[in-house]
Amino acid sequence: MTDAPTTTAPVPPREREAAPRPRLRDRGSVRRVVLGAGAFVSVLAVAWCVTVGTAGAGLSDVWHAVRLSVFGGVLADEFAQTYAIITNLRLPRALLAFAAGAALSVAGVVMQGLLRNPLVSPFTLGVSPAAAFGASLAILLTGGSAGSASWLVIASALVTALAVSALVLGLASAKAMSTATLLLLGIALTQLFEAMTSALQFVADENTLQAIVRWTFGSVNDASWSDVRLVGATALLALPLLWYFAKDLNAVAFAGDDAARSLGVNVTALRVGLIIVSVVLASVVVSFCGVIGFVGLVGPHIARLVIGADHRYLLPFSFLTGGLLLLVADTVGRTVLAPSVIPVGIVVAFIGAPVFINLILTRKAAR
Amino acid sequence: MSLDLDSVRFAYRRHRVLEDVSLSVEEGRFCALLGPNGSGKSTLAKIVARVLRPESGSVSFGGRDLLAAPRREHARVVAYVPQSGEAPFDQSVRDAVLLGRTPHIGLRPSRLDREVVDRAIDQLGLTDLRDRQLSQLSGGQAQRVLIARALAQEPKVLLLDEPTSALDLRYQIETLQIVRAVTRTQGVTALIAIHDLNHAAHFCDQAVLLHGGRIVADGPPSRAYDPQVLSSVYGLDVRVNSGEGGVVEVRPSVLEPTPVGANGTDGP
Repeated sequence: MTDAPTTTAPVPPREREAAPRPRLRDRGSVRRVVLGAGAFVSVLAVAWCVTVGTAGAGLSDVWHAVRLSVFGGVLADEFAQTYAIITNLRLPRALLAFAAGAALSVAGVVMQGLLRNPLVSPFTLGVSPAAAFGASLAILLTGGSAGSASWLVIASALVTALAVSALVLGLASAKAMSTATLLLLGIALTQLFEAMTSALQFVADENTLQAIVRWTFGSVNDASWSDVRLVGATALLALPLLWYFAKDLNAVAFAGDDAARSLGVNVTALRVGLIIVSVVLASVVVSFCGVIGFVGLVGPHIARLVIGADHRYLLPFSFLTGGLLLLVADTVGRTVLAPSVIPVGIVVAFIGAPVFINLILTRKAAR
Repeated sequence: MSLDLDSVRFAYRRHRVLEDVSLSVEEGRFCALLGPNGSGKSTLAKIVARVLRPESGSVSFGGRDLLAAPRREHARVVAYVPQSGEAPFDQSVRDAVLLGRTPHIGLRPSRLDREVVDRAIDQLGLTDLRDRQLSQLSGGQAQRVLIARALAQEPKVLLLDEPTSALDLRYQIETLQIVRAVTRTQGVTALIAIHDLNHAAHFCDQAVLLHGGRIVADGPPSRAYDPQVLSSVYGLDVRVNSGEGGVVEVRPSVLEPTPVGANGTDGP
């Protein structure tokens, strides 16, 4: 045995430590400021999108209407119509769009982190199309009387989505699938469930058909306050729950399963638990708004570009970017061809598809 | 104190990988796990890291059962450096090292956590790179980040799974020097799965040679390296020369300057 070899790693001199150290706290607080600014912009955007439309309403009208409905007060006759438009039509619509986008985006972040793959989302894994099939089946079996999202429709969407995600993710981990294989599996499942939904449409009568078609292109038309409450509550409850596991999610996403285990993370339990939460998020949105593709892909992507991939910041920020994305897309959808309204799912696809293609093409460079 | 493995057995489905492995590494020692591909050395490291679960047997440190402890507590004692792989998402060096604090932090990293991270970064000479993204680093630098991450765990036992196989010669030597320095200065017990017998002989205090899931030699490299055992384990006729300072050197006979080995064993 020779003498202990000396290390070549330079031991930094003491005085060098003082200077760059405060930057760490700066970076954390920069990200917190970005998060706060995002929240502020989101509130403004909701208010602004409510003002957009054929019947004129200004920001002050929106503020007035919100104050009236929250704190009560005398509703003046000349304001009654504007008030009704704002509180019954536009505000729930804007909030539902935001909540749905936020939920899908957060679900996307979780799936991407757990599978260590920026190309997966509820849509690309076939989870959303499966949920749409489940919803359609429930509508058909109840003879279209369920109409808008009833508990049965939601439950059916949820069960199908969970079954499919169990299948996809089980296969993915058992066969140690590559990105390409996983996406191909997602495409196959999407095709399968779209075909099955089409088959249901084929046998459905007029009324049921209409109710089913609603699910095949996502939209937030006919948004009601009860829709907003349920989707919003799901998204708002899921976010802190997921955030609690952000540290563990970081370990899996950045270090991989093996290293995460050695870092003290119970990877299997984490994976099952978080996948269930994200599938619930996606299925609830699908059962209210139908299949809205790409939000779960583009929302996280934008958020990651702005705030970085650390899930402690990425989770809340992708909530905001997803919400904003869908809100803006819906506002665009109801203005470009006004008075006709383009379903938000179609508008998002126009934004989402190019981003997705770009993601695929630049994937090598990003690594 | 010591790290003790007792009758550890492991199989992937029906394929038996480890058969009744028992070994002991004194605290603060640097132990090499050697053996040809498929001999079970990586598997053994992963069992101690609790990445894999053995069928039977026990792993303990200082008498404390490491397999029964809660994962989080285990991770405060044992750190694992995997082979450096590609990460799908980019992050800064500092965030990457901060991952090592996972078993220690609650919801948010405290000041102490950040100090430990900065110390680990300094210790591996990454101070100037700490705000860089991982994608901008070379292979050797990325490997050092992984070691810094493991040190940020403040472990008593450090496991390394073939950390040097993807590195060029300079970084191989540097990595081994760093790990050895950690065992010497911080009393950390290190266990490394490694291919290069000569590097192991030079840097490690103990060499454990695995073959077909069993230990065939265990001891200081100068004693554990037996030309006959090595030749049969690797299926290649080798010679063991003792070099300067008592460090042994292994050399395949075909690379010997003299064509005919004086007392070469019969190769297969």
